[in-house]
Amino acid sequence: MSGSKPDILWSPHHVDRYVICDSELSLYRIESVGTTLLAINSDTPYMKCVAWYPKPEPECLLAVGQANGRVVLTSLGQSHNSKCKDLMGKEFVPKHARQCNTLAWNPVESNWLAAGLDKHRADFSVLIWDISSKFTLETSVTAEKIRLSAGDTDSNLVVTKPLYELGQNDACLSLCWLPRDQKLLLAGMHRNLAIFDLRNTSQKMFVNTKAIQGVTVDPHFHDRVASFFEGQVAIWDLRKFEKPVLTLTEQPKPLTKVAWCPTRTGLLATLTRDSNVIRLYDMQHTPTPIGDETEPTIIERSVQPCENYLASFAWHPSSQNRMVVVTPNRSMVDFTVFERISFAWSSTTSLMWACGRHLYECTEEAGVSSTEKDISTKMRDRALSRYGHDTEQVWKNHLLAGGDDSQLKSLWYTLHYILYMYVLQKPLGNKHPIVYSGIKNIVKSGSGSTENARCWNGSELKADVIRYHNEERCLALQLCGWIKKGPEIHVEPFLQCLEQEGEWERAAAIALFNLDIRRSIEILHKGATSEKGDLNLSVVAMALSGYTDEKNSLWREMCSTLRLQLKNPYLSVMFAFLTSERGSYDAVLYEGRVAVRDRVAFACMFLSDSQLPRYIDKLTIEMKDAGNLEGILLTGLTKDGVDLMESYVDRTGDVQTASFCMLKGSTGEVVKDPRVQCWIENYRNLLDAWRFWHKRAEFDIHRSKLDPSSKPLAQVFVSCNFCGKSISYSCSAMPHQGRGFSQYGVTGSPTKSKVTSCPGCRKPLPRCALCLMNMGTPISSCPGTAKSDEKVDLSKDKKLAEFNNWFTWCHNCRHGGHAGHMLSWFRDHTECPVSACNCKCMQLDTTGSLTPSDTAQ
Amino acid sequence: MDLHILNYRLRVTSINTAGLSRYTHALIKLVFLSNQTRCKFFSLTETPENYTVVLDEEGFKELPESEHLQVESDIWLPLNVLCDRNASSSSDTVGVTKIATSVIIPLAEQHVSVFMLSTYQTDYILVREKDLPVVIHTLEQEFAIYREVGGETFRVYSEDTDVEEDRKEAVKMKVHPVLSPDNRFSVMSLDPATLPTIATILIDVLFYSNCSAEVENYASLGLDYIKFFSFSLIDGYISIVMDTETQRRFPRELLFTSSSGELWRMVRIGGQPLGFDECGIVAQISQRLAEANISAYYISTFSFDHALVPEEDISYVIRMLEKPLTEL
Repeated sequence: MSGSKPDILWSPHHVDRYVICDSELSLYRIESVGTTLLAINSDTPYMKCVAWYPKPEPECLLAVGQANGRVVLTSLGQSHNSKCKDLMGKEFVPKHARQCNTLAWNPVESNWLAAGLDKHRADFSVLIWDISSKFTLETSVTAEKIRLSAGDTDSNLVVTKPLYELGQNDACLSLCWLPRDQKLLLAGMHRNLAIFDLRNTSQKMFVNTKAIQGVTVDPHFHDRVASFFEGQVAIWDLRKFEKPVLTLTEQPKPLTKVAWCPTRTGLLATLTRDSNVIRLYDMQHTPTPIGDETEPTIIERSVQPCENYLASFAWHPSSQNRMVVVTPNRSMVDFTVFERISFAWSSTTSLMWACGRHLYECTEEAGVSSTEKDISTKMRDRALSRYGHDTEQVWKNHLLAGGDDSQLKSLWYTLHYILYMYVLQKPLGNKHPIVYSGIKNIVKSGSGSTENARCWNGSELKADVIRYHNEERCLALQLCGWIKKGPEIHVEPFLQCLEQEGEWERAAAIALFNLDIRRSIEILHKGATSEKGDLNLSVVAMALSGYTDEKNSLWREMCSTLRLQLKNPYLSVMFAFLTSERGSYDAVLYEGRVAVRDRVAFACMFLSDSQLPRYIDKLTIEMKDAGNLEGILLTGLTKDGVDLMESYVDRTGDVQTASFCMLKGSTGEVVKDPRVQCWIENYRNLLDAWRFWHKRAEFDIHRSKLDPSSKPLAQVFVSCNFCGKSISYSCSAMPHQGRGFSQYGVTGSPTKSKVTSCPGCRKPLPRCALCLMNMGTPISSCPGTAKSDEKVDLSKDKKLAEFNNWFTWCHNCRHGGHAGHMLSWFRDHTECPVSACNCKCMQLDTTGSLTPSDTAQ
Repeated sequence: MDLHILNYRLRVTSINTAGLSRYTHALIKLVFLSNQTRCKFFSLTETPENYTVVLDEEGFKELPESEHLQVESDIWLPLNVLCDRNASSSSDTVGVTKIATSVIIPLAEQHVSVFMLSTYQTDYILVREKDLPVVIHTLEQEFAIYREVGGETFRVYSEDTDVEEDRKEAVKMKVHPVLSPDNRFSVMSLDPATLPTIATILIDVLFYSNCSAEVENYASLGLDYIKFFSFSLIDGYISIVMDTETQRRFPRELLFTSSSGELWRMVRIGGQPLGFDECGIVAQISQRLAEANISAYYISTFSFDHALVPEEDISYVIRMLEKPLTEL
């Protein structure tokens, strides 16, 4: 302060009033917009510190500490009521003049006012004045010594005898009363923080530190105190006062104010000199690991209320996140400290975020079809419909996925064809079947192809096209699905198939590309006359039948321009094909709306050995960049394919499709790719997060079938209490090491020899706490089962019975027994079945209380 | 009780009156523009003989060398007693008297020379850096000794136990003549923020003092007058010792002093310049004051020592100090 730096002081009882004090005191009222100046008091010069009387009456009583150590009571904007009048202008004068650094009203004994003064060699620095004390004139002996200048003050209002004097030969820089007890005063002294107990002033608790400025108690946590020194804030716990519990990161400039937020717990605001930002430290209440050296988590951030440097700030006492700052030239800014928002996606589609004291949840509305469903919803639905699990008719998986995604459809057909071809080629004993490596590699591996100019089928017109043919191109056509098997190009079954599905245009185009214009017209005609047929198709058929090979005919001219107006891409490319120059089919090849497999098949038929790889490469790059699953046809399940899938996952987040697709790749390298493993693990985690435990198990089984290396090794072994050896020791030589358990779980055949003793030392295995039979004894053969109805229960479900034979035990009390027995016991009891053991075993198992979400399946 | 070894390395210097003009620039900078120097410990005492300047090494850099500047060769460290562990142990006597028995006399017995500097705020006992091991060894029975290292305060202990104990031979106390002028002094402080307000007066008093008027004034009344003015700025705290004649020139409301307005008389110790090696000078004075329970300020300068005692006790003190030492 001292006439230069204004400070803000909020009224303890009127949430809308505050005082700005610099060389004078100004009372303001804060409104929703702006502030109103209510009163000004400039009676007290040399102001060093101000404190507001804590009780509601008298309303606006302020104590002002002056540069010479005097404390003066004054008020602002008060009608002079009698109670207040007595106190106005009352002065409290220390024996030796020096600066008054700080003032603090006792919040309970409200007539106690503590003043902290600078050092004097022979005087005390903490004086506690009683404002209600009578004006005692000094006794005559000392009166002789008083050489107070005449007329300096009205001596009637001067109090020179403090109630308590503390801190001799020391300086006091900051003070606050501790809420723990009205008689405890925390003071920042010259080199230490001291707690004075007024019940016994000869004792004080203190700790040597430099952080002695601005002591302030956390209003929400009365044992927590902040103090500072230069740029560093120290946080103290009064219960463990030896050293700061934490220190905040040091600021380059000295701090000027530190204040706890009155409306939020553990939020501290700090301001440094010549700065326009207020730093906020959010001390979280997260439980920290036990140990002295751990520091609680602090989230630090800063707010900038305005461009100018700030002189001081004050939290609004009641409205959350509101703060008023004042600049050195007294302009005030009322502003909102924005909440730090933390949010999290759930494993289903809901989003939750916390802002201040509010928690918001946002979920996808059920049954909204207008917008596309989130991928997590889709994956969840697909997981429930056993998507990916159809290994017989692989293409059907796209139907399981909903059947409405053309990319997935293409992908699953590609995989279907690949696997189909693989089965056909298998007898060749090909170690690394080429069908997996995609058309891109297939066409490259090809030797020179034979050209043959072909005529139109069923037409006397001479076709001006050259078709290329070799074994690899034929394989590519098979992968594209156009033909079933080579080497004859026979698309008729495929056309019939398309006709059945009502894909008239596509069928017509493919027929045309196979130079069968008559068949094409026939298909279009069928399409026009079918049940939901488009009559326009017969118009197209008419146009088609007018085909002429004359170069400059009107027909050609019209077709090449009007075809662009055709909405269906297949119809469009048909005319493009017919009107194109020999060997340049760009209008067909780069028609993006035509399925990739059709374009590739077309390319394999009509592009030369030099053109084809170039086109395929270009298309592959395009597909990879776009993450288009149709491109898997080109890349196959190779590293290229993983690249493509990576960009697909990046775009969609669909780890489910990625996992299933890549598992189909028979080559180990693809599955071992870290990206693939990452998708698989993420998908498993996702299933777990949805509590789709059965689905996850199913997936694991599926995975281990396709990728035998993924089988996990046994991670848990049971060791004998006596010899310490694993009880599965004896069967370690067996191939199924990981299934050691099932040997003891008694795999169902009662004729198998029962192992009830340790294979190492022959000592008996533990007994079931309920039936008292040794581990390894099947439950069904156990005569001691208590309830007969349970037996019926067990026999009902054979699968369950196997599980009931398992042995289980509590990790806490180490008691256990047959899983079936334990389950039935804990259905009715909370405590362990072993007498005198009161372990609440079942409640310790947190996952045991969760139910899988996919049980209904 | 706590004893703090403050983190300053001090030089004790003297500027003779004739050479003052060479040093006014540096001194004005140190007094009024302390934020432009890194000096944190500065004390200037004007006596008729010379100006004694005690300052830390940062401040010392500001003083140019010349034949007018005498520098004591050693580094001095200030000690500060915090007798505040028990808050209620307040006695009426203050200052040197209070720490006499616990610090000054034991140090005198160990032949440690001390340089005293009392201020409005506290008393500093300066000892030579090379004497520090002896000081720690001597005082650690009585005090918890702290020293600031790198911003943190640490308790220090005597490093080697074999500090020569055999120095405890009988201290030969030399009786120095004492002089007591008739002008009365006050010890005061000032809000550093208001220092610019009194800058011109202070410069006038410090550098242009012509005390002949006061001397004559006193002489006409048959009284002794001695020019003595001390200003110190230590850790941002200002302390001023001046006589009542000088005090009149300052605006009253700016200077802080005790509400009782107590005044002090001076006892100057030494007829010849005392030097820095003799020990026990402070001890013999303060011990007798302590026995009589008289509070005092004590300010050492380059040539002489000065004790300030309450004016009502001056005649008693003079009588006491003039007694031969054997009567102690």
